[in-house]
This record gives sequence, structure tokens and C-alpha cells, in this order.
Amino acid sequence: MMKLDKDQIRMVIALFVVAAIAAILLATTDIITREPIAAAQKAALRQALQQVLPEHANDPQNDKITLANNNTVAVIYPAKDSAGHIAGLAWEVVAPDGYSGSIRILVGVRPDGSVFAIRVTRHQETPGLGDGIVKNHAWLASFVGQSLGSRIWKVKKDGGDFDQFTGATITPRAVVKAVKGALEFFKQQKTAIFARLASAKMNHQAGGAHE
Amino acid sequence: MNKSEIFADGFWHNNTIFAQLLGMCPLLGVTTSAENGFWMGAATLLVLTGSNLVVSMVRGVIPKNVRIPSYITIIAAFVTIVGMAMNAWMHEMYLILGLFIPLIVVNCAILGRAEAFASKNSVSDALMDAIGVGLGFTFALVLLGGVRELFGQGEFFGFNVFGESYPDVLMFILPPGAFIALGFILAAINLINRSIASRAESRAQADALSKDIPATVEAQ
Repeated sequence: MMKLDKDQIRMVIALFVVAAIAAILLATTDIITREPIAAAQKAALRQALQQVLPEHANDPQNDKITLANNNTVAVIYPAKDSAGHIAGLAWEVVAPDGYSGSIRILVGVRPDGSVFAIRVTRHQETPGLGDGIVKNHAWLASFVGQSLGSRIWKVKKDGGDFDQFTGATITPRAVVKAVKGALEFFKQQKTAIFARLASAKMNHQAGGAHE
Repeated sequence: MNKSEIFADGFWHNNTIFAQLLGMCPLLGVTTSAENGFWMGAATLLVLTGSNLVVSMVRGVIPKNVRIPSYITIIAAFVTIVGMAMNAWMHEMYLILGLFIPLIVVNCAILGRAEAFASKNSVSDALMDAIGVGLGFTFALVLLGGVRELFGQGEFFGFNVFGESYPDVLMFILPPGAFIALGFILAAINLINRSIASRAESRAQADALSKDIPATVEAQ
């Protein structure tokens, strides 16, 4: 067996102590920041939901349901009016084919399957070109009220109804495709979604009765 | 070196960006606006202060052969702490700076200060060095971010400067604009340094001359 000399033992001890202290510090920071991070994420989501859902009386994040469908799990946030009727639904879709990386889009739809509003929540597109999907309000507004049948869901360059930007076609193309996918998902899953929402409501009321 | 010399050296004479041209990745990556540059600089300043302090404290204790892995562990710990804190209390800026926060670990300027300065100097000197170098780095990021924001979008720290009709110059926002703006800034800094040097030289000559004159008068 190889014998460790004094210097080697000192090295091992030094590295061990440094790593141990770093680990303790990181664990402490994690404990301190865990709740504020969750709160910040929740606040950011609440702000985004506010923009893609019609006026509502509930907290969409409290009433969320999760729906598993061919390997994808959709978390759906419902907006309910004061009478408890569903006024709109929102969920996040991912466009994997952006110009640089994937684009996350929060899509809000009305119960009839038309778009209420869309907002891009995360992207790494080129500033000044592709980031029109965040900054170009007229373009974002061109989605409002549209449903699967009312528009050809492609950019104009591809023979569709949605504008591309000067110098950027790939980014809006990816977003249009993703929003179309979201509407198709809603069309297929509408019954399932509303059944889940109804049962979630029943559970909620049953839970309320026990209290 | 006294404290103010250490500060001036880190902030100006050996500025990470303007003199050493280190840390180019965050410099070019995040400086699309003055505000982004400022917060990236602030995060780097915090990490540098922490790492310089600790490295200076443990100098002489860490065996020479394992000093680099030890320094990297110390730096990585501080970077992660700063990243978590930003995620918790500055969520929006954390999302904007994104990957560049964890990448502070491999900012060679920070390991460079640990190895070249903090490991050989007292804790108070290491602190002064961290503040000088960190503020110098922040200054560089804000300057470049400000120039790019001003010419790219006609704004400075989000305030409109050139009016609504200013046509955005896309190139300054894109990476090539970062290189071009940096080139002009470096040229300006070199001009300033040269004029300081020549003024100091002419003053030294004038001093020498004024000393010479009475001497020659006496000689006559």
C-alpha cells in the first residue's frame, strides 16, 4: 500500500475543511433563500397570469390542475368569475424551435377556444430582432380573439396570417406554431380539462365542508 | 504600496477590462444596457470581496499544491450564495443576467486576484484590492453598457435621452457593437493615460528647469 506522507495528509485535510465549510454556508443560504425564491417565482407568475387571463375573482395558482397527456404534463391555471364560472384558462407552452434556445409562452384562452392573450415568459432571442415577441404589442395583439378556424396559423412568409418581423422570421414562426399547438391541445382535451376542474371544485367544496 | 495606491492600481492602472482585457465574456455578454452592466458588476464586486477576504485569511494555512482547487471552491461558494440571493430578492434581474451569474466562477479576474494578490497580502490590503478591482470592473461594465444603450436605444439607465424619434441602432445592441464600442473606449482611455503621462513628464522637466536656473545663475 502506498504510504501517505505528512504533506499529502495536510492537503487532504485542507481541501476537506474548505469543502465542508463551503457546504455548510451553501446549505444555510439555501434555507434562508428558499422561501423568498418561491415567493418571487409565484409573484412573477401571478403578474404574467394577470395579463393573459380575463378578470377573475379567484387565485388561479391556488386552483391549478395538472393534466398528463402523452408524456407532457400541463399545469392549467383557471380564471373564475365571482359566480364560480370558468372565464378563462392559461397554461405555459414551450416552443423548442426558437432562434436561440426554447421560448416559453403563457397562453390564455377563453372557454370557447379563442385566444384571450399571450405573453412570452422566457426567451433568449436576439435583442432588437427576435425580442419583438415581447416588445411588439401590436403583434401580440394580433393573436387576441383568434381561434383555430379564424386564422391560418403560420407567418405570412409561409402563407399564413401572422406577421414576421424585419430580420426575424424564425422566432415568430416558432411562437405561432406553439400557440397553435396550445389551441389544438385545448380542443382535444377540453372535456377532460373541464371534468378535472369540476371535480377539483367538488373536492374543494367537500374539503371546505369538513372545516 | 499604501491603501490608496492599491485602490488606484485595481481601479485604473491595472483595470481588469481597460488594462488587462480580462473578463471579456461577461463584459460583452451582459452590457446591452447600463443597468445590466451595473448589477453584473455589483455581483462580481461582492464575490471578489468575499473571495479576497477568505483567501487572504487562509493564506499560509492552505498547502501550496492544493491552493487552486481551494480558491475555486471558495469562489464557487460565494458565486452560488450571490446567485441565490439575487434569485430571491432581485428576481427580474436574476432572470436577465441568467447564465452569466454562475459564470462569475470562471471569471479569470477573480481567481487572478486571489492567486496574485490576496494569497500574498494582509486581509485589509486584500479588501482594498477587491474594492478597487471590483469597482473598476463595475465602472467598465456600466461605461460600455451605457454607450451601447445610448447609441443602440437612445436611452441611459432606461431614461430616454435622444427623444422618441431616435432610430434604434441595432448593431450596438448586438455583439459586434460591443466590440466596436469597446475599441473606441479603449482608444479614449489610452489617450487619457497618455495625456496624463505627458503632463507629468513636462511638469518634471519644468521642475528640473526651475532648479537648474538658480544654479546656473550662481555659477555665473
